[in-house]
Amino acid sequence: MCAFKYNPAASREVYNLESGKYAQQCMQCGLCAVTCPARHLMDYTPRQLFKMLFAGEVDKVLKANTPWLCTSCCLCTVRCPRGIPIIDVMHSLKHYHFEKGTKAPVATLSKVFFDSMMKRGRVFELGMTNAYYMKSGFGAIKDAMKMQDVGMAMMKAKRLPLAPPKKVKGLGDVKKIYDKAVALAKEGH
Amino acid sequence: MAKKIGVYVCTGCGIGDALDIDKVTKVAEKEYKCPVVRTHAHLCGKEGVELIKKDLEGEEGVNAVIVAGCSGRVNTDVFNFGPSVMVERVNLREHVVWCHPANDEDTDMIAEDNMRMGIVKVQKSELPEPYIEEGIVKTILVVGGGLVGLTAALEAAAAGYKVVLIEKEASLGGWVAKQYKQVALRPPYDELRENDIQDIIKQVEDNPNITVYTSAKSEGISGGPGIFEVTINQNGNTVKEKVGAIVLATGAKPYDATKLAHLGFGRFQDVVTKDQFEEMASSGKITRPSDGKEVQSVTFIQCAGSRDPEHLPYCSAECCVGSLRQALYVKEQNPDATAVIIYKDLRAAGQYEFLYKKAQSEGVVFIKGEVVGVNEAGGQVSVEAEDVVRGETVQVDSDLVVLATGMVPTTAFGEEELTVEVKEGEEAEAAAAAADTIIRSDILNLQYRQGPELPSLKYGFPDSHFICFPYESRRTGIYPAGTVRAPMDVRAAIDDAAGAALKAIQCVELTAKGAAVHPRALDFSFPEFNLSRCTQCKRCTEECPFGAINEDEKTYPLPHPTRCRRCGTCMGACPERIISFKNYSVGMIGSMLKNIEVPEEFEEKPRILVFACENDAIPALDIAGINRLEYNPWIRIIPVRCLGSLNLIWIADAMSNGFDGVMLLGCKHGDDYQCHFVKGSELAEIRLSKISETLDRLRLESERVQMRQVSIMDYDQIPKILDEFAEKLEELGPNPMKDF
Repeated sequence: MCAFKYNPAASREVYNLESGKYAQQCMQCGLCAVTCPARHLMDYTPRQLFKMLFAGEVDKVLKANTPWLCTSCCLCTVRCPRGIPIIDVMHSLKHYHFEKGTKAPVATLSKVFFDSMMKRGRVFELGMTNAYYMKSGFGAIKDAMKMQDVGMAMMKAKRLPLAPPKKVKGLGDVKKIYDKAVALAKEGH
Repeated sequence: MAKKIGVYVCTGCGIGDALDIDKVTKVAEKEYKCPVVRTHAHLCGKEGVELIKKDLEGEEGVNAVIVAGCSGRVNTDVFNFGPSVMVERVNLREHVVWCHPANDEDTDMIAEDNMRMGIVKVQKSELPEPYIEEGIVKTILVVGGGLVGLTAALEAAAAGYKVVLIEKEASLGGWVAKQYKQVALRPPYDELRENDIQDIIKQVEDNPNITVYTSAKSEGISGGPGIFEVTINQNGNTVKEKVGAIVLATGAKPYDATKLAHLGFGRFQDVVTKDQFEEMASSGKITRPSDGKEVQSVTFIQCAGSRDPEHLPYCSAECCVGSLRQALYVKEQNPDATAVIIYKDLRAAGQYEFLYKKAQSEGVVFIKGEVVGVNEAGGQVSVEAEDVVRGETVQVDSDLVVLATGMVPTTAFGEEELTVEVKEGEEAEAAAAAADTIIRSDILNLQYRQGPELPSLKYGFPDSHFICFPYESRRTGIYPAGTVRAPMDVRAAIDDAAGAALKAIQCVELTAKGAAVHPRALDFSFPEFNLSRCTQCKRCTEECPFGAINEDEKTYPLPHPTRCRRCGTCMGACPERIISFKNYSVGMIGSMLKNIEVPEEFEEKPRILVFACENDAIPALDIAGINRLEYNPWIRIIPVRCLGSLNLIWIADAMSNGFDGVMLLGCKHGDDYQCHFVKGSELAEIRLSKISETLDRLRLESERVQMRQVSIMDYDQIPKILDEFAEKLEELGPNPMKDF
């Protein structure tokens, strides 16, 4: 008989993240799960994610797409009866993900989206899509081929321009803001 | 003193508009020759009350007042003219004009009959004189020196009463004294506090109003409220103390863990009970019993023996919070240690939520589910549980497993017996209903005919009626509090102690006045026995729900009025009808029903007599009136103290008087009984089954007499119940005895 073994000690590192300790307050009521507008896309609802943490399944937590699909809409946070700032926990989990260097498709997408945005101040869809499939490795080409018809339809509808868009005005200021935020984060704010 | 009755008819609240008031006053003036009959438009106002007072003080010399108007349940303070004036209320509002059509001949007839009954009731009753025992003491005995006993003693002493406290152990403190730390009673609620039981013990020992006997137990308690005589055995020396009321605070014992082998107890050394764990924590270090090593991981199993039909079916209330506390001990000893709590439902309500959150933030892991197996694996104890949140069987390995064992009241240990011997035969059913279960737990050792301890309600708890009256037991003047009454946590137990102390104080104060205690508080009447006609049938001693009647040497009933709750169950039980109250008797109710006018058969106006319990059925009828719910006008209502006081002669009288049917409205009985006097309605139903045979013999259909259970919330059912009964009677045709 090999029943699942609880290993709560394994999750300590996660609880020590910036907002990780709040996850411990979860009492598994499930309000977050029924509230979340993106729940149908998530591998695990926030409630399930926290339960996995309690059980010590850190690997599963890191592979979950839950934090990446969180739109920070704050609905779960205002409804949580335990007052857990769930979106903050999700942010901490994303940081932890990069720290650990775990590969997850949604995380890659998030990264290329961000890079594309920082380049011009707005997203170049085609460039971002290409970058995503390039970064996702060899197998991703297959996936990309599957999406061909969608891409063609979007191009016809002028939703996927071939040329990159213009840079926004004051892109330099946006970068300054970003650099400042990075600097502050490093100082521990 | 001759009775001089003044009748005051109120015409307010629509009574004057709906009724022919002249007819009502004529009943008083012409039929019963009442010397003073007045009407007023607003009797409960200042002017109306002055009108009555003038007659009481003036040359009219009125000394008995009949107020015909609203229900006797309202304006009781307005129409109270002191203890020397008898006041009777005739209900013309809720039972007449509010539930019957206005200006109708039948409605007027109800009002007239109610007036007749009211006048006869006053004529047939006397002012009760309080029964005051000689040498009443107000000292309060507290049995048990644990947290509840100590708190009750301090509360009673603080209110100015002398207290005698007995404790069977050599030292005070009980279960709480063995605890390492305590839950917080005031903010911050998320922190445990040092156990302060020693301070409480010191306060009790230093209090000049409290006499403490340790290593002592009660060898016998005789008498009744106000005059209890307690024989205390302290280390072999006998001391006698007189006390007025008793608080039973002997607490609970943990459930016998040896019966929990399925949870590993007894099979593995590293499976302990929560009390053994507490002892370890108090001694300074939590270690494994098998090898003495400091624990790195502990699993707590909740509901060990509780909420389990094979062990204790009930929730023991304290264990969830207890395990939260103990899990924090583990974290206190070693913050890196793992603590897991496996629970069915974590019942940490109210401020305990803070403690729950604290345990979570310290990293205690909670698994909702049931334990399916406990085994040993690699030097650790491995617990397998059905995790309902994960939806699979999970395994938790730990150094130590702690079973949160439930609590069993101290009153549950001992031989069980019934207060009434149930023999085969005609009386078997009545005897079975009257019988209470007494467990000889050797705690109080009452010298009552009905057994030495408090009757137990369920699972050995000596509670009487948990819905309405906490702290009440079925023996007047003895109030169980704390975990002996019901499973509860420390905070609830402290409240319980204060509550029971207050009940005990109420009891001694009321007894000193000669008044009844709850639920007929301030009733000065008490049953009187005409022993010259007693046949020693023992029905009264057996059926009294409160054990108020002992037996003397010649086996005659020996009533103890201070133990009496004045329900009248003895009066209803007595086949010789020798028991009566000054203002409530078999004869009185009999005269009331005989004075109701029953029209001749050809008039086609049937009459239905309703005996309604004052505690629930009468309020329900009143509320039906308030809601203007209409029912048939053939109903005549006689309130009774409790259906238990129903004497069968009334039904025979009603039948021979030409009533077409009799309905009894009483409280719900059975497991979740609502009867304020425990067994009244049940006994009435059993008595009724006997009259059915008699009725059949008289060729009267037994359906003519029915009993229905109603609660105060069933007011909307009242018209349906009464109208269906009237229809049934119509089918049966008129009472053939009518014309005789």
